[in-house]
Amino acid sequence: MRRLLVVLSLLLAHIASASSERCVDDDRNVKVCLDAPAARIIALSPGATELLYAAGAGDKLIAAVSFSDYPDEAKALPRVGSYNRFDLEAILSLKPDLLIGWHSGNPTEQLAQLEALELKVYYSELRGFDDVSRTLRRFGELAGSEPSANAAAEHFDQGISALRKQYQNAESVRVFQQIWVNPLMTVNDQHLISEATRLCGGINVFGNLPRLAARIDHEAVLAANPEAIIAGGMGEENRSWLDDWRPYSGLLAVQRDNLFFIPPSTLQRPTPRLLSGTRMLCQHLDTARGRR
Amino acid sequence: MAAASYHTPRLLPALALLSLGALLAVALSVSTGSVAISTAELWAVLQGEGEPLHHTLIFDLRLPRSLAAFATGGLLAVAGALMQVLLRNPLADPYVLGLSGGAAVGALSAMLLGLGSAAVSGSAFIGAIVSAITVFGLAHGTGSWTPTRLLLTGVVIAAGWGAVVTFMLAIAPTESLPGMLFWLMGDLAYARSPWPALTTLLALSLLLLPLGRSLNAMARGPLQAAALGVAVKPMEWSIYIAASLLTALAVTTAGSIGFVGLVVPHMLRLILGNDQRLILPACALAGGALLTLADTLARTIIAPEQLPVGVITALLGVPTFLLLLYRSR
Repeated sequence: MRRLLVVLSLLLAHIASASSERCVDDDRNVKVCLDAPAARIIALSPGATELLYAAGAGDKLIAAVSFSDYPDEAKALPRVGSYNRFDLEAILSLKPDLLIGWHSGNPTEQLAQLEALELKVYYSELRGFDDVSRTLRRFGELAGSEPSANAAAEHFDQGISALRKQYQNAESVRVFQQIWVNPLMTVNDQHLISEATRLCGGINVFGNLPRLAARIDHEAVLAANPEAIIAGGMGEENRSWLDDWRPYSGLLAVQRDNLFFIPPSTLQRPTPRLLSGTRMLCQHLDTARGRR
Repeated sequence: MAAASYHTPRLLPALALLSLGALLAVALSVSTGSVAISTAELWAVLQGEGEPLHHTLIFDLRLPRSLAAFATGGLLAVAGALMQVLLRNPLADPYVLGLSGGAAVGALSAMLLGLGSAAVSGSAFIGAIVSAITVFGLAHGTGSWTPTRLLLTGVVIAAGWGAVVTFMLAIAPTESLPGMLFWLMGDLAYARSPWPALTTLLALSLLLLPLGRSLNAMARGPLQAAALGVAVKPMEWSIYIAASLLTALAVTTAGSIGFVGLVVPHMLRLILGNDQRLILPACALAGGALLTLADTLARTIIAPEQLPVGVITALLGVPTFLLLLYRSR
């Protein structure tokens, strides 16, 4: 009798898992299929960790890489190295059923090695607003947390389209986006930051540079004479980069005091927090319009 | 080629020519940048008129930077020439004894802690001085020290610093990596004020002038120097201290810019002969001019984007040096 029950339950479990087979395309357009919702996920980039939590799959996450610091729960996760060099043995010993890799950030050979060891790897590569909600939905499907993932995706999409609607006819503001100070660095129009800038009615003064993240000199900024300067900071609170511009009184942005700070983690990373960063950016540009 | 004579008739014309070259390099550097300023506009600015933008560009950005480049290049070339005399080794450069490694560990630690640029410069200087003292103390050991012993100690300490630097790069967060790498490659964008480097360069060049004769004797070996009445030990000490100080200031100003300190002294020796009374001031001028030109190119070739200056110094210097070497056979 007892044996029969065991057999029966195994059979049921088999049927249940067969019916819950799930497949999603990853960002290389390769199908990643799981027999059952992933229960032991390792995120190989800080961004993936954040997206998994946002997709309601935080409880399925068993390990992350260093600098995975958002949300707070992520800080307690065991570490398997850094995003650019991870510990394959540690990963194997944790017996994950899904790895979220970062296509352009993780070492290709290590990802290939993990795949050769029959582990499932989802390659993520987020470049714009659409990718955030798409990834949230996919993570929800993989981890079986569709309801909260879809809600998060919906919330993000609605927030972005509300902003888009609000600012679609706004007067344009010429903006210098400073992402680093030593060396002085900015981004071109391909970058996520520029997508946010465009959405808020801003124009990136260095949008046409050939490289995604470019090192420039102060002279180029003075020549471009932007109406507003937006800077991230070394930390989440550091506004000192903006004060470095104050001596250049010839700059329109300095004359009108349009020197704004946005925490880099909300504007430079393709995660749901991008919504709050973009909202902040739009408000700052609106302030700049008001000072004309 | 005439061997180094003790009376160099070419001293004045050579130095006059190099000074002219240095002035031209600085002038070119001040007049070019990602914003085009015509000669007429430049003239207006120099007379205190002209556009405020141009005034800012020239006096707040370009001039301090080209003076810093000049001073750094001069410091490195003089330090390299001194090290080559001290160690009697043609491969010696300002960094051979691990100074730049110590400075790099100092600077990168400050960057890892998220400190500002003043702290980065300060800890780079401290790192360089700590390294210099360590090397000197260890090479001195319990007995007498020889150039070979000093060189070996320095090279091993440099390797140690190198390991620490690699470790720091490995554990650094992604966003601070570009800053760290640019520091390691050498970058004049960090240069805040050119004055400490410039005044030290001038002061030490003047101080070294009367020592030229003794340095010439030193270059021929300690026995000959002693026979010629040079106090060898104090002389070695002073050369080491001077070279360390020059290098420390150079890396503090602009990170570890390679190549200038190794090749400029050799280039000048190939052209001018090995008379230290001529070589040292010539190094200050030619090293300064080379780095000023290289920095001008680095910030204008793909403007507004910037290249690391070390790329340009090597690209300019390698063919020039090889040509000189080839022709000198």
